[in-house]
Amino acid sequence: MFGSGKTTPVDEYQARGEIERVYHEIRQVMRVNGVNLNFRTWAAHGDFLPALWDALQPNVRTLAFERGADALRAGAARAAAALPWPDRDPALPLGESQCFQIGAALDLYHYINPKLLLFTAAAQLALAGETVGGVADGDTTVLRRGIPGTMYPMEMVEAEPEDARLKALFEDIQQTLSLPAVNSDYRTLALWPDYLADAWRRLKPLVARPDYRECCDRLREQALAEARRLPHRLDFSVEVVADHGEDPKAMAALTGRFMALLPGLIIHMALILRDWRSPETLTESPFPARTGGAP
Amino acid sequence: MNWREYQSRQRVMVLGERFLSYADVGEGEPVVLIHGIPTWGYLWHRQLTELSAHHRVLIPDLLGFGYSDRSDRFDRSITVQAEALDAWLDGLGVERASLVAHDIGGGVALRLATLFPHRVARLCVMNAVCYDSWPIELMLQFGHPEADRKLSAGNAIWVLHHGLKQGFARSPDNELMAGLLAPYATEVGKLSLIRDAAALNTNLTMELTVRLPDIRVPTLILWGEEDRFQVIRYAERLAGDIPGARMVAIADARHFVMLDQPALVEARVREFLA
Repeated sequence: MFGSGKTTPVDEYQARGEIERVYHEIRQVMRVNGVNLNFRTWAAHGDFLPALWDALQPNVRTLAFERGADALRAGAARAAAALPWPDRDPALPLGESQCFQIGAALDLYHYINPKLLLFTAAAQLALAGETVGGVADGDTTVLRRGIPGTMYPMEMVEAEPEDARLKALFEDIQQTLSLPAVNSDYRTLALWPDYLADAWRRLKPLVARPDYRECCDRLREQALAEARRLPHRLDFSVEVVADHGEDPKAMAALTGRFMALLPGLIIHMALILRDWRSPETLTESPFPARTGGAP
Repeated sequence: MNWREYQSRQRVMVLGERFLSYADVGEGEPVVLIHGIPTWGYLWHRQLTELSAHHRVLIPDLLGFGYSDRSDRFDRSITVQAEALDAWLDGLGVERASLVAHDIGGGVALRLATLFPHRVARLCVMNAVCYDSWPIELMLQFGHPEADRKLSAGNAIWVLHHGLKQGFARSPDNELMAGLLAPYATEVGKLSLIRDAAALNTNLTMELTVRLPDIRVPTLILWGEEDRFQVIRYAERLAGDIPGARMVAIADARHFVMLDQPALVEARVREFLA
């Protein structure tokens, strides 16, 4: 049953049964070493995540899906390059290892978030009754499963930190961005609280700018277009949701909220990455995919 | 120095697909300080200051520990750790160094001294794992794969905090304990430590027993004599098996001898390295 009534995101160590199976598949097929908040939130709704994952997985494992996400990443990087981004505070007490790890953590999100957006876009279209995927010339080549060897672990501080300064920072981020919960990305950057504070200081003024909002809208539209072009026809609908006892409208609304928030998040990470990487490299995938998976 | 300050001093080296964080302070003959489980380089923060006046002090976080790579896809055995330190020393351009090592860091140092003897100028082990002295019960339980499902990161820290207290002669202050356990306070940190604990393997020190008489470098065995984790009879065995090894029992000290009796330990180590 989808409608278990539980709405608290399911952390990876808490996953059991079908959710544990799907989390493992997400890590292997999405090529990521952690499960993002979208999935953890969907997982709180009974069988919704397993049903959605099993329906979308044939697309997710294709080269076409990876290329679609690559195009979204490149679009976000170009948009971020056109937005103002002041230098980070040179007085921040960051050592060489910390700088290395911040860059590596941002690479992780720069890689996975566009894939998450494409996945969410496909789900949203399906829940809106649209036909998704199944284009005649779609590339169904299958990617090699598995997490890239150098990918940084998806480590993050707890959602409700005890540290008063961090707590205030999270509240500000959550309120400013109208987030239902603080995303994994910010919780990861909170491992280096001084840096997160400095990044947020520079990020916050941007979110009210019209050109920033236009960038987000363009990225959202691009994601929907990429989802429509997926190679395999998506067999998922409001009827499937309803058959499992969940409210399709509620799940569509939840998915819609992710869809509203993800483009901004992707642009934020691309902006923050400008502290560590050259603009040209940001249009490239940090973890280029290899083909060779089982058909 | 609090743990955040220590962390900001760490440098990084990429070793293949892994990365290793380390402190590198001071000039002179290189000395490598190797921590054990469940700590990290911060264990030596006081010795970093003390010894770097006369030495180049190098303190790695072992792979899977502290702020070195903690991804969940590699072996963390002392065999791999010794090989990683060998590669790290190569990367630093250090041909030969003195080793000062604690707990499983001692196991790593014993492997380096027996299997990579050209690397080791002097060897000092403190309350080190050796022979069949390990793993201790706490770590055996922690290393069970089910521990990840049974313990949240918060619960794991609580268990470790209370378990580690047994390793001190006097109750350590909360700031020190928080610092020692800081890298393990997240779900990723907890899981990494579970994998570290799962890699503890008696065979990897038992197989060294026949090689211990081959160690030819000056060796000091410093031991907190009230240690309940690594009891002092193992120090006596090492002293008997390593030719010319000198053993010093430190009174009023348990497992974390360098924190229980820092001034005494620093004096003994300085004298040994001089």
